[in-house]
Parts: sequence; structure tokens; C-alpha cells
Amino acid sequence: MDFSDILASSIHDIKNSLGLILNSLDDLIANPENHIANPRQASLLQHEAQRANSNLIQLLNLYKLGNEQLVVQIAEQNVDDFLSEVVADNQAVCNALNLSLTYACDPSLTGYFDAELIQSVLDSTIGNARRYAHTRILLSADNEAGYLVIRVEDDGSGFSGKLPLWLPDTSEPAQNAGNPARTRLGLYFASSIAQLHKTPERTGRVRLKNSHILSGGCFELWLP
Amino acid sequence: MTDDFSKKHYLIIDDFTDMRAVIRSILRSLGVNHIDQARDGNDAISQMNHKRYDVVLCDYNLGSGKDGQQVLEEARHRELIGVDCIFIMVTAENTREMVMGAVEYAPDNYLAKPFTKDLLKSRLDKLFERKAHLSDVNKALMAKDYGAAIQELDTLLADSPKNLSDLLKLKTEICLMANRHDDAMAIYEQVLAVRDITWARFGMGKVLYAKKRHAQAQDIFRQLIELNPNLIAAYDWLSKTQVAQQQFNEAEQTLHAAAKHSPRGLKRQQLLGDLALGNGHAEAAEAAFGHAVTLAKHSILNTPALFAGLAKSKASNNKPVEALKVLGEIDKTFPDKPEAILYKATATATIKQQQGDTAGALDALRSAEQTMTQFGEASHFKLDLEMAKTYALLGQQDKATELLQKAIANNHDDDEFLMEVVRTCREAKLEYDAETAIREIQQGVVKTNNMGVQLIRQGEYDAAIKLLHDAAEEMPGNKTINLNAAKANIMKMEKLGATHADILNVRRYVERVQALAPQDWRLNDVISRLRKLAPKV
Repeated sequence: MDFSDILASSIHDIKNSLGLILNSLDDLIANPENHIANPRQASLLQHEAQRANSNLIQLLNLYKLGNEQLVVQIAEQNVDDFLSEVVADNQAVCNALNLSLTYACDPSLTGYFDAELIQSVLDSTIGNARRYAHTRILLSADNEAGYLVIRVEDDGSGFSGKLPLWLPDTSEPAQNAGNPARTRLGLYFASSIAQLHKTPERTGRVRLKNSHILSGGCFELWLP
Repeated sequence: MTDDFSKKHYLIIDDFTDMRAVIRSILRSLGVNHIDQARDGNDAISQMNHKRYDVVLCDYNLGSGKDGQQVLEEARHRELIGVDCIFIMVTAENTREMVMGAVEYAPDNYLAKPFTKDLLKSRLDKLFERKAHLSDVNKALMAKDYGAAIQELDTLLADSPKNLSDLLKLKTEICLMANRHDDAMAIYEQVLAVRDITWARFGMGKVLYAKKRHAQAQDIFRQLIELNPNLIAAYDWLSKTQVAQQQFNEAEQTLHAAAKHSPRGLKRQQLLGDLALGNGHAEAAEAAFGHAVTLAKHSILNTPALFAGLAKSKASNNKPVEALKVLGEIDKTFPDKPEAILYKATATATIKQQQGDTAGALDALRSAEQTMTQFGEASHFKLDLEMAKTYALLGQQDKATELLQKAIANNHDDDEFLMEVVRTCREAKLEYDAETAIREIQQGVVKTNNMGVQLIRQGEYDAAIKLLHDAAEEMPGNKTINLNAAKANIMKMEKLGATHADILNVRRYVERVQALAPQDWRLNDVISRLRKLAPKV
């Protein structure tokens, strides 16, 4: 048994547990007769369980990336369909945290990317934004300069440091107020996945800035 | 739309009671009323055998026994679920390995665990919408009427839909089934002109292969592997092009590399074992057949040929005791199957001959011959080939040659099979010039066909029918000849009116082809024309 099998099988078990936790919390929160848990606490638990889940996926993908086992499957995707699923998957936790999560894009917009990998990047970015947003998280997508740009913004206090910041072109790590180490790993993951998307002329990148549409931090994925 | 949830029948397959309960409560909250549950693969298969489900949610990991992929394989193979059923594979790891593993039957969708109620709803909504959108295409596909399926798709494509790229891809897949290579090629070129997309590049390789432009196809598959070393299906196709060019050692190496990336492919391991054994690499063959036997344990695709291959490899590696033990497993695994008895007998003959026990080998060969008589004209060509190999090994060149001759005539236009004949002769060191024989037999069959067509054109129906009928009796396993004989009868009836005797003849030809290749793209045309002449078919 090699390590990637061990990792995969452990992750399988952990995800089963996380699934049970998440769904039980869902029931608890939805049940008006629940007097055990304070709904706010239950929501926070749910939020952390979902973060643990996206971290696990990130971990497995990073491991594979390091071992050149990660397969990229780039296909043409309808971006509206794609974002609607990402939002659906994260909606419950955001609702529970009293955050509005919405997306905006042209229904006919299409792009070329690996839906599963990009979804895992967006999941962990949204997970991060949940920590900083005051009331809103907004996803959007557009065609700009021959790239598909997908944005995740919040109305929190924004990124600190020199902005805008392109990744991976810079050696200066971006800092997000709370937990720099965790943010850095997330950004490393995001920019590695972005770079796997390339055409002969262009390569995918990540950009951080503040105050795009909302007042807070704005994470951008530029995909060729 | 709510009917999709309230009226439809759902099956949940998971080995964990708690997980089943969770999924069940999610479905209930979406308004689903009809939910059944299965705790393992066998339970699932038996429930699908008794009831038609609209949606199946199956966990990939089902503990010991069948895994989710094997459940799907068996359900599709035995037609327990149709194209109108939505099969969703639930997985914990991400799904790309499974997708890249180049499986024969793909689920409609993968769902990563854990999933929320909102995600499942949004996913199901989309899948229902897609099935509804494609319902006419799927109806045509179920009737194996590929021409109609393509027409329906063209209608959908004309509206420039949201999922244009998916539809184009689906169209090329149907074009390939329907042997419309040029139509598929045009789409690949159109897609590739905008951007280098893997499925289109891949499809181009498949078309080039079908057009026997093997070297060009090989280049494409090599490029794909270079760009993406984990694209397993590209290895499978690269090895096909290598076999077609008689590069058997290279083909073995290619499959070996693929099996290293993705060891769970049963057919790949079997092919690898076959190639390795033929190339004289008994150790590699033993490893591959060993994997195959283990993988096939709970699979509908299990076959005695795997055990025979493993036994022969073990014998070649000087492990005769283990080899005979493997053969003993055949009876237990496939009780009373003539195919199993045959493989056991031929493998026994091979092993005994290698050990110098000529009398024992001849005994086993006689039992194989007896079993062969049970198959009648319907013997599968793989069995003929297995018999021919055994005859050759035991020094009975004439009988081997006669069988090969028959096998070639029955499959004159199946290039992959013909290459297996060539490989068999080389492997068995048979003094038989298979390539020349193939050329001559092909010329004969083509000539008969052309004469038949010409006679029909001249209105000489009876002469055409007699000519093609005689040929079909001589080569009952030849699909092309049987179909052309059927067509000659049909055209006569279309012109001069149906007769009972002609209808019976056509049915006989059609049944032969159906038994050999139920998916043959030419069948639908013949069957629907026959239906017009004899509505009761």
C-alpha cells in the first residue's frame, strides 16, 4: 500500500464522519424544537466542519501535485451553471452565519477549466471569506483580456500589505489579518491550480486586491 | 419539476447504515417519497432486478464484495437500468482517478462526500433537466437507431444551447458508434480550431485508428500522454495502434505503464497478460493475470479465460502445482459453463504438454474437442482461437490451420481480431502464413459481396440471394455476409412482396448477428425494414 492509498482511505473515513456531523448539524439548526444547542454555536461548528473538509481535499490535491499524480481535466464549462453549484454547496453554512452568498455572471459565459479543481479552490476561498465578511460574499465571473476571471469578494476589512498582488509572480507572501500560515498555504494551492491551466500563450494566475465591488478583500482567479 | 422528486423511485446503496439514513433524510426533505435502500452490491443488484429505478445513488466504497463501479457495470451490462436512469456515484476521494481510469461504463454524475442538501438538489435538478432535454436522443439510442439519435441531436444543436460542447461531444460518440467517422472528424476539427481540447484530440486519434492510419493515430496518443501522463485511456489506445502495427513488445510496455497508473482496470490487465504471455514474458503475464483474477472476483465481466491465462503463466514460470490449483478454481467459479470446461481443458492440455506428459495433454485436448461440439455454429471466435493455439502446441498443425481459416472467414473485417490471429500464429510458432491467408480470404469475401450487390442492382434477386445465402451458410459467424444476405431478401420483398419463407430467412440472419454483436450499427436499419414487411417481428 503506498502513501497515496493510505491517505485516500483515511480521507474516505474522515469525510464520512464529517458528512454525518454536517448533516446532523443541519437537522439541529433546522429543528425549531431543538433546545440543546444554541443555533449560532451549531452554525460555527458547521462552518469549521466544512473548512476541515475543504482542507482535506486541498491536502490530498497538494500531495498529488507534489508527486505529479494530479490530473487536470480541462473542458469547456458553462460558468453560470458552475457558480450556481458552488453557491449551492456553500449556501447552508453562510445562511447559518447570517452571511448572504450570491453570484453574478452572464448566463451564456463559458470558460475552459477543470471544474472539480477550481471548485475546491473556490470552496476554500469562500471558507476564508466567511471569516472576514461582515454581511456579504459575492462571486462573479467575466471575460477580461482573453482570460476568464472568477472573483470572490467580501465586505470585510480587506487584505493588508502591498496590493494588488499577483501570484505566483511575487516572492512576497500576502498576509491576511487572522492566520498568515493558513492563508499562505491556501494561496499556494490556488496559484498552483491556476498555473495548471495554460494555453501556448497564457498561464493561469491569482490576484489579490481590495474594494472591487464590495469594500473588502477580493480574490481573483485568472484562467486562460 | 417537483414530480422529479415526488413521483420518481430512488435507490440508495451504501454499506453504512448511518450514511443511508443521512441520504434518506436529505431526499425526504426534498420531497422524495419512494426510497429503497441496499446495504451492498448484491443487495443492490437484486433490487434493481425486481424494480426499475429512476435515480440510483451509489457509494463507490461498499466494503468487501462489489464496489460501486462493479455495481454500475453489472446494472448496465444486464440492462437493469437504461439510459433514462440517473446513476450517481458517491465518492469520498475526488473523482478524477475514476474518470481517468478509462472505465467502460461511466455514471451520469459523480458526487463528492460530504454533500449538502442544496448541492444534491441543484445537481438532481440539472440532471433531470439534461435527461429531459435529451429524451428524444435517448429514445433513439435505446432503439439503437443511431441515425435518428444524430438527427435529434442536430435539432438541439441548432438552438445553440448552453451545453453546446457537451452535445457536440455526445454527437461524436454516437457518430463513432454509427461508423460515421467523417462526421465525427469534422466536429473534432471544428472544436480544435478554437482550442486544444483533450476529448477532441483523443477522438481524432480514434478516427485515424479506425481509418487504419495507425502511425498518425499513434502520434496523437503519444502527444496526449506526453501532455498528461495520467490520461490512462490514451495508453490503452496507444497500445491498440502498436498492436495494429505488430509492435507487440511496445504494446505490452505501454499497457504496463497504464496498469501502473491505474491498476484497477480489469480488461487492461487481461490484455496485458495476453500480450506478455505471447511475448514470452511469463512473469509479467502471471502478475497481470493475477491482478485480473482478483479484480474480476465480484465482477459481471469475470471469465474463465483469466484463470486459464493465470494457470498458463504459472506453468511457464515452473509452478505446475499452483497452475493446476488455479484450474481447479474454474469449476468452482463457473459451475457447468461449457466455456469454462473448454478453457480448463485447453489450459490443462497446454500445461501437461509443457511438462512432457503427451498422453495427458491429448486426453485434455479430446475433452476440449467434445466441448467444442456443444457450441455448434455459435462458437465464439475467441474459443476458436484458443482451440487453434492448443492444436498448434500439440503439433496438430492441420487442425489448427483449419480453425484459423474458419475464424478469419467469419471475421474478415474485424482488424483487431485478425491481428490476434497473426499474433497467435507467431506465438504458437505455427507454420501458417496468416497474413497471406487473411488477404486471400478477405478478397474472396469482398468479391462475393460485390457480386451480390451487383446482382441486386440488376434485379437478379434470386441469384443474389442464393449467392449470399450459400456464403452465409459457409461463414455463419460473418456479420457482414449475414447482413447482406438479409438485405438482399428484404430488397426482394420490398419490390415483389413479402413471403413467409423469406421473412424466416431474414430473421435467422438477424438473430445470428444479434447473438454475435447486439450493438452492431447496421442492425437497426435491417430490423426496421423487416418490421415494415412483417409488423409482428
